[in-house]
Amino acid sequence: MTIREAGRALRDRKVSSVELTRQAIEQIERLNPTLNAFITITAESAFERARQADAELAGGHDRGPLHGIPIAHKDLFLTRGVRTTGGSKIYENFVPDHDATVVEKLDLAGAVSLGKLNMHELAFGITSTNPHFGAVRNPWNPEHIPGGSSGGSGVAVATDMVFAATGSDTGGSIRIPAAYCGVVGLKPTYGRVSRYGTIPLAFSLDHMGPLARTVRDAALVLNAMAGYDSRDPASARRSVIDFVPEDHCEIRGLRIGVPERFFFARLDPEVKTAVTAAVARAKDLGAEIRTVDLPDIEALITAGMVIQFCEVAAVLEPHLAARERFGKDVLALVDQGRFLSGPDYVNAQRLRRQAQQDFRSVWKEVDCLMMPTTAISAPRIGEARVCIGEYEEDIRSASTRLVRSFNALGLPALSMPCGRSAAGLPIGLQIVGPAFGEALVLKTAAALEYSVIVPR
Amino acid sequence: MSNRIDWKAIAKARGLEIPAADLELIAPRLDALEEAFRPLARALTPDQEPAPAFDAERDGE
Repeated sequence: MTIREAGRALRDRKVSSVELTRQAIEQIERLNPTLNAFITITAESAFERARQADAELAGGHDRGPLHGIPIAHKDLFLTRGVRTTGGSKIYENFVPDHDATVVEKLDLAGAVSLGKLNMHELAFGITSTNPHFGAVRNPWNPEHIPGGSSGGSGVAVATDMVFAATGSDTGGSIRIPAAYCGVVGLKPTYGRVSRYGTIPLAFSLDHMGPLARTVRDAALVLNAMAGYDSRDPASARRSVIDFVPEDHCEIRGLRIGVPERFFFARLDPEVKTAVTAAVARAKDLGAEIRTVDLPDIEALITAGMVIQFCEVAAVLEPHLAARERFGKDVLALVDQGRFLSGPDYVNAQRLRRQAQQDFRSVWKEVDCLMMPTTAISAPRIGEARVCIGEYEEDIRSASTRLVRSFNALGLPALSMPCGRSAAGLPIGLQIVGPAFGEALVLKTAAALEYSVIVPR
Repeated sequence: MSNRIDWKAIAKARGLEIPAADLELIAPRLDALEEAFRPLARALTPDQEPAPAFDAERDGE
């Protein structure tokens, strides 16, 4: 059931928010012991909120499409009175006295939060194999990772524990779990969704966004999340439009860029086949497919990594006296940032600006870009390296190298399912648009959604 | 430990308290980043300014 279908059923009195919440809690009770998507389940407050939602609807107070809909938050969004761990030992007993802006907004929109979702420690990693709160497991095969860092979000949405979830994306952390779990994940433009009240990883690369089962559901959640917030210094004063694509949206004449160099090199053959088929489907729907050569992505990725390492080290340096409180992989990444200098950070920002300027010419040639989200489907838990053809690659690199550059550029990027591997694991298609072009990205995704193989 | 850059000496000079085993683990990654980043940084010209994080209009409110 989609959010829109649930909303219709709620308004037709065919179901209540309390019933939807009960179904969701039952699903969590059934699956969470295996998949470990939730760190904290707030069933009691969820039922209270659901009862309120039902009473409001009965009294004619309709908050909109998310009214009475069960959702959950990645455990780095601050929630008043509810423990917010960031998946870390550092914050294991942190109970905020206020909500993140996104939490506030979704609450105002009537959504019913069922709790806080497990994640990669401090959002700094892609496995969601959390050393403090346990490994999150892929619902398509529990021996595999769900991706990360928003791993719990991807799993909760994919398994119908919730209709939608919040996530954060600093180097692919919404899109990677969306791809590995077979759901839709959108990293909006930098500044589109407030970061206020989230545990930061890297200030200039952190993006907040939705994960949902369908493109239109993701758009509905974005509608509620987006908007200017004076409490976030990077928040954009862009007016919020209705991001939900119309029912029979068309992409005829749309110029879709396919960056073959870099983005289609070194791919698992099954990923390449599925994404190529999705591009062909877009062509069948009337889009004009153009091969494009993007500015130096490798340089941008390197600059982005230097920026991320420096910003992370700045944030976490005060906690490093207690090294035993960090997982080994996160600690290694944090330590790397401590070797970089002030000039390194400035130079990386100079490279980033150059790339942003160079990228403007891309949007003169095409309206959006289409490529794989990840080079592989979800690896096994504990696997450090994968073979892609004759290449052996670190799974972190194989998971992030196609998504990371769009964080440094701040561009909207969506991952949607476009097929499955022979092993039954989902494959993600990534669609990228110009800054504040979320509506176009969502429309393109919606046009393709029911014409490519969607794993359910 | 990498023989290209003495990360242990750099850690000591900067007062970074990182256990030897942890440093051993990250040295190859530091080398790789150095190899990728340094040529790019050297190629920058004076007219290439950083991406500003500070917005004078907004922050001056």
